[in-house]
Amino acid sequence: MIKRLLKVTFSEWKLFFTDPAAVLLLVIAGFIYAFYYPTPYLKQVVTEAPVGIVDLDKTAMSRQLIQMSRAAQQIDVKYVFDDIHQAKLSMADGNIYGYMIIPNNMERDIRTGQKVTLNVFTHGAYVMLHGNIGTAFATSGLTLGAETKIKRIALDKQVPAKSAMAMRDPFPIQIQTLYNRTGSYSNYVVPSVLVLILQQSLIIGICTLGGARAHRKFRKKKQESAAENESLPYRYFGRSLAYFLHYACFIAFYHFVVYNVFDFPRRGEPLPMIVFAVVFLSASINLGMVLSQVFLRRETGMQIFLFLSIPILFLSNFSWPRYLIPDWMAALSAILPSSYAVPAWLSIQQMGAGIQDASVFLVKMGVQSVIYLGLGLLLSFLRDKSKLKTGDM
Amino acid sequence: MLKDFFRAVKKIYLCNNIVLWMILLVLPVSTSIFMVHFFSAESIQRIPIGIIHYDYSKLSERLEYSLSANPVLELKLQCSDFSECERGIRRGEIQAFIVIPYQFEKRVLRYETPVVPIYSNGQYYLTNMFALKEIRSVFSTIGSNLFTRHIKEPIKTEIHSVGNSTGNYQGYLGLGLVTSIFHMSSILIAVYVFSFPLRDRKTKEYIDAAGGSRMILWFASVVPLILISWFLMLAVYTYTHRFLAPLTLNEFIMVGAGQLAMVLACTGAGISFVGITGNMRMATSVAGVIGGPAFAFAGQTFPIIAMPFFVRCFAFLLPLTHLLKIQSQMILGDVGLIPSWDSLVILLGMGLFWHLLGGRLIFIRWKKWNHD
Repeated sequence: MIKRLLKVTFSEWKLFFTDPAAVLLLVIAGFIYAFYYPTPYLKQVVTEAPVGIVDLDKTAMSRQLIQMSRAAQQIDVKYVFDDIHQAKLSMADGNIYGYMIIPNNMERDIRTGQKVTLNVFTHGAYVMLHGNIGTAFATSGLTLGAETKIKRIALDKQVPAKSAMAMRDPFPIQIQTLYNRTGSYSNYVVPSVLVLILQQSLIIGICTLGGARAHRKFRKKKQESAAENESLPYRYFGRSLAYFLHYACFIAFYHFVVYNVFDFPRRGEPLPMIVFAVVFLSASINLGMVLSQVFLRRETGMQIFLFLSIPILFLSNFSWPRYLIPDWMAALSAILPSSYAVPAWLSIQQMGAGIQDASVFLVKMGVQSVIYLGLGLLLSFLRDKSKLKTGDM
Repeated sequence: MLKDFFRAVKKIYLCNNIVLWMILLVLPVSTSIFMVHFFSAESIQRIPIGIIHYDYSKLSERLEYSLSANPVLELKLQCSDFSECERGIRRGEIQAFIVIPYQFEKRVLRYETPVVPIYSNGQYYLTNMFALKEIRSVFSTIGSNLFTRHIKEPIKTEIHSVGNSTGNYQGYLGLGLVTSIFHMSSILIAVYVFSFPLRDRKTKEYIDAAGGSRMILWFASVVPLILISWFLMLAVYTYTHRFLAPLTLNEFIMVGAGQLAMVLACTGAGISFVGITGNMRMATSVAGVIGGPAFAFAGQTFPIIAMPFFVRCFAFLLPLTHLLKIQSQMILGDVGLIPSWDSLVILLGMGLFWHLLGGRLIFIRWKKWNHD
């Protein structure tokens, strides 16, 4: 029995390396994408975003503020403008991504005890830079204002400078980032994308190879071979095993090689990683087996799933919380293994979670796996009996 | 000639081909609308956080009350110790937690400035950014009002996002994603239309339908494809843009021209991929490799200036990068159209290049397949 199963498994595995479409999807895609996707984020964090300052005050204090802004790591003060229109044009030309306006009479107003507002304008299309530029300018403004405020407190309350400082900020906060400590953008995006690469290439690959079908037309010479036309359970589980073993190697490759190359934290313990691999690959393989019986052409799965990659990635909620998306979308996401695989992978691999911590996601993938297994077997059985013209499959 | 043109159009587009209309119409529109509505909450709210109290005092209660009252935060977990809250983070139940230290209020009143540690999960970057911003704001408001309520900060900084004043993610990410989806669909549909006669071994049939003219077949294949993709993109873009500041007519025309130029460039690229690879499966794979991750390279989420030089060169070759640049320039308002001309010229240049290359290659293929 095991010999028959393994014969089907190795016959299918051989196909991964001999069928040109399969080589591309099941072998090359997993390697190329793992190195191709992270390349935009090689620098990991955005530093020195080009910005400008419109100095309408032109005093010692405004120059001090410009100096303070120049010292900020997140921004690079490229230009100091004399009027606002120049700054607007420079932002439209793409030379700068934001600017701060130092108002006329700033120094005089501060010294006479009035309140001054610094307006910072950032490019609305680049939300990520908005945060960086805003924080850098706000910190400079706050630092400049702190000196004045401490002096005012000391004079008003008749206390020494140390007490005045304590009264200004009585309980400072200290932020400790537990995971992704450097705020790396690649560390935030790429681990989730890696899981998606595995799922998408696996499903498209299975659809391209016809899942558990017998007598696959594209096999030409081998169309009538014994391994190709085993009874349904052998065909289904034998081929599934080939996909499972192949993709388990990919998970190990990502864990040991890709994570090292891109310097991602690797906190996954062996046991949770193994459990994750088993439930995630089972769910994805069985979903692929279901979908492969729906398409009549080998490339249809690829054409459709390429469109769905973006929605599927966002449905995994790595960037936008699940409770903020419409209910029907949250319900729809329940059919996709990646919706649970991405948070499970992030918990296990990035945060070092154990099986118990990740169980809420692992159990759901287990349920998906069982449902898709039943559906996959049923559809493969029906396809075997069907006389429908089946394109090139 | 016109008769041959329409006969060929009918043969290509009205032949009961479900996959063709799925790729041309149903999938680009439905996935675009899906993505726009995905961000219907507009910005991140109700972020779950936890708290550990080592001090039960009026001040700590006041802090807790202010955190609960903040619409962006939701105080979800009261932990008895550090490990309980840390587990909450690992399980995805909370995003951050605050530790109120021992004798907090007493030390504050003695001007000892006790430090309040805040532990947050940097893995969920965007949510973390929002959570920390709000926690900082709550603490600084209460802190500054404690002893020096009547002495205001001398300098206040107001941060404005030009063209997206409310920081609306539905508009900001929606626009980029819609453009990205049409970028990919324009390449994919061109691959499909130009490769299915080969796949089904019907090249001769299609050339015959075009009166034996490859030029007419070319126009019959390309014109409806470009027009349908462009109109759909324009319609979905208009639908999405209502979440941002309105455009003037001139700005809308500039964006429309940019979108047409991008569709031209992408369809030309798709035809060239078919011409180079000679089959649908390979050409679709190439289209997927280039079109799939294009959004990550186009600079809207992670700025191009922060990418390595070779990646910037690749980003420059993507039509999507230039259209996103035009679209983002248009949301800035009263700066005129001049800054966008360069991007439009680059896109038109790309369109011309890819169509000339694709045309040459596909004509050679058609000649060969027609004889075969």
